[in-house]
Amino acid sequence: MPIVHNGAVTSCVFFAVSGNSYSAGTFISSTVGVPALTHSFCKQNNPAVQTMDPSEVEFLAEKEMVKIIPNFSLDKIYLIGGDLGPFNPGLPVDVPVWLALNLKQRQKCRIVPPEWMDVEKLEEIRELERKEDAFTPVPSPYYMELTKLLLNHASDNIPKADEIRTLVKDIWDTRIAKLRLSADSFISQQEAHAKLDNLTLMEINTTRTFLLDSLNCMYKLRSNLQPGSNKGKALDY
Amino acid sequence: MDSQAYLPVPPGVGMEENFFSLDDILLSHERLSCRTECAFPRLGFLEKSGDTRDIAEGTKMELPLWLAKGLYERKRRVVSVEVPKVYREGWRTVFSADPTVVDLQKMGPYYYGLGSQMLHFDSPENPDVAQSLLQTFIGRFRRTMDSSQNAYNEDTSVLVERLDCLERQRLSSCKHFLLSLPGG
Repeated sequence: MPIVHNGAVTSCVFFAVSGNSYSAGTFISSTVGVPALTHSFCKQNNPAVQTMDPSEVEFLAEKEMVKIIPNFSLDKIYLIGGDLGPFNPGLPVDVPVWLALNLKQRQKCRIVPPEWMDVEKLEEIRELERKEDAFTPVPSPYYMELTKLLLNHASDNIPKADEIRTLVKDIWDTRIAKLRLSADSFISQQEAHAKLDNLTLMEINTTRTFLLDSLNCMYKLRSNLQPGSNKGKALDY
Repeated sequence: MDSQAYLPVPPGVGMEENFFSLDDILLSHERLSCRTECAFPRLGFLEKSGDTRDIAEGTKMELPLWLAKGLYERKRRVVSVEVPKVYREGWRTVFSADPTVVDLQKMGPYYYGLGSQMLHFDSPENPDVAQSLLQTFIGRFRRTMDSSQNAYNEDTSVLVERLDCLERQRLSSCKHFLLSLPGG
């Protein structure tokens, strides 16, 4: 019972399946060319709905690139995922977040906050989010995780860290409220199709288990209305 | 990330129960009031109130669900099962008015499960019962969703005590997730 979805910023995919058949018409899909990473992380098998840990999402977020200013020098290093460097003191270089945090903790670099992590920009995004009914495009597909990681480890390099934390939390709350509203109307009107754009992986993760579980239950209760279609069909172990 | 060595089998929500599910096994202990349609000779000991050796035709007794399901057969008319009060007309109106108000734990902790099993017994009210179950579930969805997402640090016993077993299980499956959310 795979839950396939791409962590892309543009849309999310929900498959609600119960047993071995699709839930009555709840099919949402869209595609963007980002590989379906989550399938390999999701937990195991029938009949429970698969879950994804927030720590896994954070792990994926650490692949994003961020600019740092090192205080050491090192030649170019060749890693499996790509080349990094060369590192020269005082010159900015792009590295993945996992490396940036590690260097910061060893006090070997200074982290430059990403462009979107700025009070005015975030305020604009927050106002836009509050005005619109649909989801607005996010500054980064992992804005929540990056904010938490960078502000926890490198708040001395980021100006107005507390305000940024509050603003990002506001944006998150607004988006989650919209998501809950839309899930609620989806269920209460028993619609068959929904398309949500601009959701991030972390937000999808919050409702995934509950929503899919409920859709499964609804499917089974709905199939009670047509008796005889289900008699004799029990889950096999 | 934790992996489970013991993976509990969830209850089958529809008309079929899962054989290995503990919830379904407990559900089948619920008693239903039935009326026997034929005599049961020498089984008088089953009925606690009477002292007769046989059970006469037309006796009203309480049978557990597993026994009633096994004995029920449309053609041979062994027992006929009454729909419990919660699924009848009066309560159905209450549920259609406002499903969130009712304390489902008190109504029998297996409201949805027992309701689905009742559909086996071919009563004329079956379509209405099935429809009412679905509408109640949908109506309570919002409340359960809110409590599952917002109450991870607080004592949820007040909210949880009004929920039926199925809803509680869905709540607890989300609970561990909430504990690991990053900073809010």
